[in-house]
Amino acid sequence: MQVTFKDVTLSYDGKREILKHLNFVIQEGTLVCLLGPSGGGKSTTLNLISGLLAPTAGHIFFGDKDVTKEDALARKVGMVFQNYALYPHLSVQKNIEFPLKMAGLSRGDRAKKAKELAALVHVDDQLDKKPGELSGGQQQRVAIARALAKEPSILLLDEPLSNLDARLRIEMREEIRRIQRETGVTTVFVTHDQDEAMHISDKIMVLHDGHIQQYSTPTTLYADPENLFVAQFIGEPVINSVPASALSHDLAGVVPADILSQAQTAGIRPEALTLPQRALNPLTTLHGKVVEFDQFGRESTAKLDYNNLQLISTEMGQLSHDTKELDFTLEKKGFFLFDANGKRIFGGDDHAE
Amino acid sequence: MLNEKPTWKSSIKGWLYLLPMLAISLTFNIYPIIKSFLMSFYTKYDFYNDIVSAYGFSNFTYLWNDPDFHLAVRNTLIFVIGVVPLNVIISLAIALMLNKIKYVASAFRTIYFLPFVTSTVAIAQVWNWIYNADYGLLNYLLGLVGINPINWLNDPNWAMPALIIMSIWKGLGFNIVLFLVGLNNINTRYYQAAEIDGANSWHQFTNVTIPLLSPMTFLVTVNGVIGSFKVFDEIFALFQGSSGPSKSALTIVYYLYEKFYTEWKYGIAAASGVVLFFLILIVTLLQLWYSRKHVHY
Repeated sequence: MQVTFKDVTLSYDGKREILKHLNFVIQEGTLVCLLGPSGGGKSTTLNLISGLLAPTAGHIFFGDKDVTKEDALARKVGMVFQNYALYPHLSVQKNIEFPLKMAGLSRGDRAKKAKELAALVHVDDQLDKKPGELSGGQQQRVAIARALAKEPSILLLDEPLSNLDARLRIEMREEIRRIQRETGVTTVFVTHDQDEAMHISDKIMVLHDGHIQQYSTPTTLYADPENLFVAQFIGEPVINSVPASALSHDLAGVVPADILSQAQTAGIRPEALTLPQRALNPLTTLHGKVVEFDQFGRESTAKLDYNNLQLISTEMGQLSHDTKELDFTLEKKGFFLFDANGKRIFGGDDHAE
Repeated sequence: MLNEKPTWKSSIKGWLYLLPMLAISLTFNIYPIIKSFLMSFYTKYDFYNDIVSAYGFSNFTYLWNDPDFHLAVRNTLIFVIGVVPLNVIISLAIALMLNKIKYVASAFRTIYFLPFVTSTVAIAQVWNWIYNADYGLLNYLLGLVGINPINWLNDPNWAMPALIIMSIWKGLGFNIVLFLVGLNNINTRYYQAAEIDGANSWHQFTNVTIPLLSPMTFLVTVNGVIGSFKVFDEIFALFQGSSGPSKSALTIVYYLYEKFYTEWKYGIAAASGVVLFFLILIVTLLQLWYSRKHVHY
């Protein structure tokens, strides 16, 4: 089901607005991540979609239908909670059957459907166990099966992976992607982990301070961040952000003067600083000192000192260990300038050839 | 040290820590229990010199044939059945309502808890007045809806209901507090999940609240059953030192008390105590067996 928010505002106490005039469309059959730091309005937005919360102002549409006044049941959403919220006194099968029982299906139909779903999420050998006897990953699978049981118009997942350990998190994120593809259900996934969001989503909505900072595909989000917040939030290691004035000498003549005069902050992705012999599409060459060089498995990071500013590069793996000073290249791709309001005014799709 | 091996020395040290409490328990709990078991087999006993001249089962055969004891057992069972289920249901209902109140809930909690901290004698005095046939509050209220006055405390048919009503009221406060704790321990996520799964308020109550509250309900029930089997002071205070009109509120403990303190039949009193002990044991074991299937921890 396509979900549309029109000018949705939410305030819990009538004074402070948690969400401010939200407008977006979630296309049918896609997986969209709501990404942002805590308190940014992700879970609030999810609860608005689910119908557990009603907006203070604005309208919510499922398809063409205005569902603003409808509750969770009428909207027919499926939801997976962070702590799974499986009914501890019911077996796995009874948990998956619960929404069907509430919908008044016969015992036989319920069991049949529950078994199909258990097979889809790979817990069909655990049907008689209680949730407490399952591992975190299995509980998560059961929670997804239960959410899918009533064939929801939309599947909502609220930080579903944050209670799992690192390896399981990667496994389950692939599983969620697989299940979403197999069922084709429109899915909204809340997370604060940008890496998780980048791997799983068709589109990512970055929420911060009650506003949508950017709503686009993961690739666009990374390559063309619309503002400094998005640039800093997406990417690991974090983008180097330095005062634009420190670079003005080296950028003069490379970046148009009127843009350079407005620029407040420069953002440089760690992979945009390379050795000159490996440069692909150089913008300019900088000169600096090597502060520290570390190798972690296949990854390496070099801390460089440029005009007394520290820059991190991940592309210096071939640097010889006794290098003290060097010339290095600043690539066009991964270099951005932001104005005083944090808006991007240079780099990304604006100037990339 | 975490991997320290138990030695004689460390074990004795551990036992020494237990000793003070153990000494108190042994003196005031274990010894009297053993003694009263033994006493129930004394058939000829000189209480003042503590000389037992004969042992036997005659105390138990006396109870088996005593119509008063039969009455006491029957009254006790009526009391337990009359008090416990209603007490559990009413206190759960009040706890659910208190849980919904946002403001002044703590004031209500205090009010409901007051009976628990008030002396039974004081409570009985107030209820004595409420139950008064001529100018009692209850008959006045019944009169408003056109019911003839009932002689609560002097009519053998109404003495037991009067006792049950007062005992239910007296037990509410503590159980309400326990249920409130239980309700607060249920994660609201379950209710949200149930709401999304299509459960209305009633289904949420039967499918989330009742099963997740079952450990607390079990505790309240077992506690209530044991307490009700042992009822004594409510009777003594409400009926001013008697077992009600024509023994209509005679319970096992009251029977024990009369045999011991007024008739000085120590062996029979002890034997009735033993019977009570096994009655409570059997009922509690039945509850435990039932809980295996129906209580979800």
